[in-house]
Amino acid sequence: MTDLLPLRAPARADAALLPLLRRFEPAMLLWLALIALLLFLVVTPLFILVRQSFEAPEGAGYTLANYVTAFADRLHLRALGNSLLLGAGVALLAAIFAVPMAWAVARTDMPGKNLTRLLVLGAFVTPPYLGAIGWILLAGPNAGWLNKLWMAVTGAKAGIVNIFTFPGLILAIAAYSYPYIFVFTSAALELVSSEMEDAAHILGAGGWRTTLKVTLPLVWPAILGGLIITFLEAIALFGTPAIIGLPAHINVVTTQLWQFFEFPVQAEVAAAYAMPLLAVTALLFWVQRKSLGRKGYVSLTGKGGERRLIQLGAWRWALLGYTLIVGGISVLLPFAVLLQAAFSRAWGRGMSLANLTLRNFEYVLFVHNTAGQSIVHSFVYAAATASLAILLALAIAYIVSRRLVPMARALAFLCVAPFVIPGIVLAIGFYSAYAAPPVALYGTAALIILAFTTRFLPIAYTSCEAAMRSLNPEMEDAARIVGGGRFIALSRIVMPLLRKSIIAAWILVFIPATRELSAAIFLTAPNTQVMSVVLFDLSSEGNFEYLAALGGVLLVATVILVAVSFRLVGRDFMLRRS
Amino acid sequence: MKRRTFLKGTAAASAAAALAPWARRASAAEEAELYAAAKGEGQVTWYTAHFDTQTAESIGNAFATRYPGIRANVVRTTAQVAFQRLSQDLKTGIAECDVFSSTDLGHYVRLKPMDVFLKYTAPNAAQLLPQFKDIDPDGGYFITSAGLICITYNKDKVKESEAPKNWPDLLDPKWKDQISVGHPGFSGYVGTWVVEMRNLYGWDYFEKLRANEPQVGRSINDTVTMLNSGERSVAAGPEATTLESAARGNPLGVIYPGDGALLMVSPSAVMKNSRRLNAARLFMNFLMSRDASEILVRNFSPAVVPGVGPAPGAKPLAEVKTIRPTAEEITEGIPEVIKRWRDTFGA
Repeated sequence: MTDLLPLRAPARADAALLPLLRRFEPAMLLWLALIALLLFLVVTPLFILVRQSFEAPEGAGYTLANYVTAFADRLHLRALGNSLLLGAGVALLAAIFAVPMAWAVARTDMPGKNLTRLLVLGAFVTPPYLGAIGWILLAGPNAGWLNKLWMAVTGAKAGIVNIFTFPGLILAIAAYSYPYIFVFTSAALELVSSEMEDAAHILGAGGWRTTLKVTLPLVWPAILGGLIITFLEAIALFGTPAIIGLPAHINVVTTQLWQFFEFPVQAEVAAAYAMPLLAVTALLFWVQRKSLGRKGYVSLTGKGGERRLIQLGAWRWALLGYTLIVGGISVLLPFAVLLQAAFSRAWGRGMSLANLTLRNFEYVLFVHNTAGQSIVHSFVYAAATASLAILLALAIAYIVSRRLVPMARALAFLCVAPFVIPGIVLAIGFYSAYAAPPVALYGTAALIILAFTTRFLPIAYTSCEAAMRSLNPEMEDAARIVGGGRFIALSRIVMPLLRKSIIAAWILVFIPATRELSAAIFLTAPNTQVMSVVLFDLSSEGNFEYLAALGGVLLVATVILVAVSFRLVGRDFMLRRS
Repeated sequence: MKRRTFLKGTAAASAAAALAPWARRASAAEEAELYAAAKGEGQVTWYTAHFDTQTAESIGNAFATRYPGIRANVVRTTAQVAFQRLSQDLKTGIAECDVFSSTDLGHYVRLKPMDVFLKYTAPNAAQLLPQFKDIDPDGGYFITSAGLICITYNKDKVKESEAPKNWPDLLDPKWKDQISVGHPGFSGYVGTWVVEMRNLYGWDYFEKLRANEPQVGRSINDTVTMLNSGERSVAAGPEATTLESAARGNPLGVIYPGDGALLMVSPSAVMKNSRRLNAARLFMNFLMSRDASEILVRNFSPAVVPGVGPAPGAKPLAEVKTIRPTAEEITEGIPEVIKRWRDTFGA
């Protein structure tokens, strides 16, 4: 390093610079670039949002009036309360769905693991509002299939389930967000070595006690990360609350926000109204830090460790049954109903041979102007988004966990903050910041990819951070002690060890990016149309048969794509242990 | 097949009408002049919330076919997204949008004082149907799309003779748990309908409707889905989407209420800051052409010029008793009724 110093530098400055430069690593430049990128992606749109919340409507000065308008209304406050309750309910139910499944798949000899992974993948790629429509058809109080079946079997006058209730809303959202917790938890569980469980056994703990007291606590960071993501996703979701919540007279933050954009538009009030969501994110982040505290969750060390599957005996069939129930709720039942519509000339006519047709598929794939192309766009943009977000998140998670720069915590917060900014609000921030010159991204794919990257950075970050936490720094230290620089340590040690987690994180961003709606609605142009927006248009245009057909295409295409790409990299779906 | 023959029929009829002796030479000359000037501009960008995506794209394609050398970029979104984009564009000085078509009259009332619309009366404006003429006395925007809200029902569950005939019939307790409506906070169509019902029957109408526990969706088109699924059997629904779904064979019917179907009108305007003013003018003229109206009718919407239509299964607009609040009642009334709706219905 020292030979880089200018030879004629004054002795004094030399003395001051030397210690700094001695610690200087070329990697620092990269970190600085990352921080600049974060400023571009997160800070600028956020700043615009905060500034807007204080702006007087016609651009005349600053005011607190937006906050008064946003929070003085009893109904607005109730919507806020509903959102928090909804988020908590969804996170809890999603964990109940996911944790036993993840444990069964990762640690036990339960049969049907591939089927389980396929069902989870199916739930994950389903746009939540498509699933919600399926559930309206299943559990609508008057004509829901489940209710009709119940009435036919028991002769009862009324059905038993009603999706238009608060628990119904929670179910319809949790059914499509539990895969986050599943993937986080199962990936972490696969890293826990049986030695720790053996230690518990030796000390006299039984199988269940070991699982509850040793195995699951060890993966608590992963479960907590999943809980936070599902909570945040639930409170930022628009589609499902709009189609299930409103008829049930349940208003939440996002449906309220949407109304601020109806005439007369109150974008400034909307910005103010979105602020508590940011506060909630900050709070959750703080809770996560307190909860994990100084406890150790390192399960990936340089030492060997054997991982054996737990023999469950008859219990494995019970677990499989549970898995199928969850899969039925999230995928099998709703898609049965949707497929009936997709293959119908007129789905209101019910099932009959005369009503069968392939025309809807032909229409969405070949006749509709944008639908076919939008499928390709969705996948390309999602892949670009996932790659960009993971690179960024990985780098920042590394900086934060190894404390390479001051204010690392603030960086971490910036990474998770965008998640709760409702898509449309984020998109408007992006549009006003970058559509116009000098950046001039109007109508380009780059605008969408960058906005998606911001939107899903929290997911990327949360999963990369959990992965980093499981990695013992000793191993890099070892590399560096024997003379390797940080890049060597990163490329030879960290990346290979985390490869599986990185692929998991990539999928975790890729899939929601294919189904992202609220930000896309605002940013797409005629030649950058994406599938979710086409689906939404078909739904709000009442073209239900086409909507169902396109939903089916989306499901099949994603499953095939993910399957093929994992075969290509030599793996099964969803990170099965090789 | 039937539909196709029908379309051929209307095309022939309208071609005959086009040859009518009053085909105005002056306007044809203006059109030719605009086209010549617009060729150099090469394209036109249309922010639109009118129609569904497919219809909007068809209109864009028809324009490009009619005027070779000029491409139409169709940016089809919901009304509030179109408005937000346009507002952002105006704020940041982007002149992307050439022609702006929202379904929300309020957008025009709010934008007009900002002097962003070009005062331009296209030649075809003269042939608009009487009920669509002169929406803006100053000639800043013109009606290019219309729709009706009617009483719609599921034919498998309700006989035509038993279906509601007038709007107050929906208040009959026999429709308890059977009604589907949209939400005024999410749909300008529904908002306008609520304003008009309040004009006619007072807010009491909605207090009584609440007692019948209607299923409140978001968009007015949600009623079509609710009727098809059998979840609900009657609705205050859109004529066009309901007929389109019925044409596919779904068991849906439309009743034109005796006390009046609600007529929704949606304007378009040429943006003053457009960089392609000739193409924009030409496109505006095209929206009020017979060609455009034929596409509307093919997609089950009412035509805005005479001699076209009606849409398959629809009653000719001239024979329908229509009602509609004034522009002022709409822009002032919608925010009020949204508030009252939320108090009455709880969300």
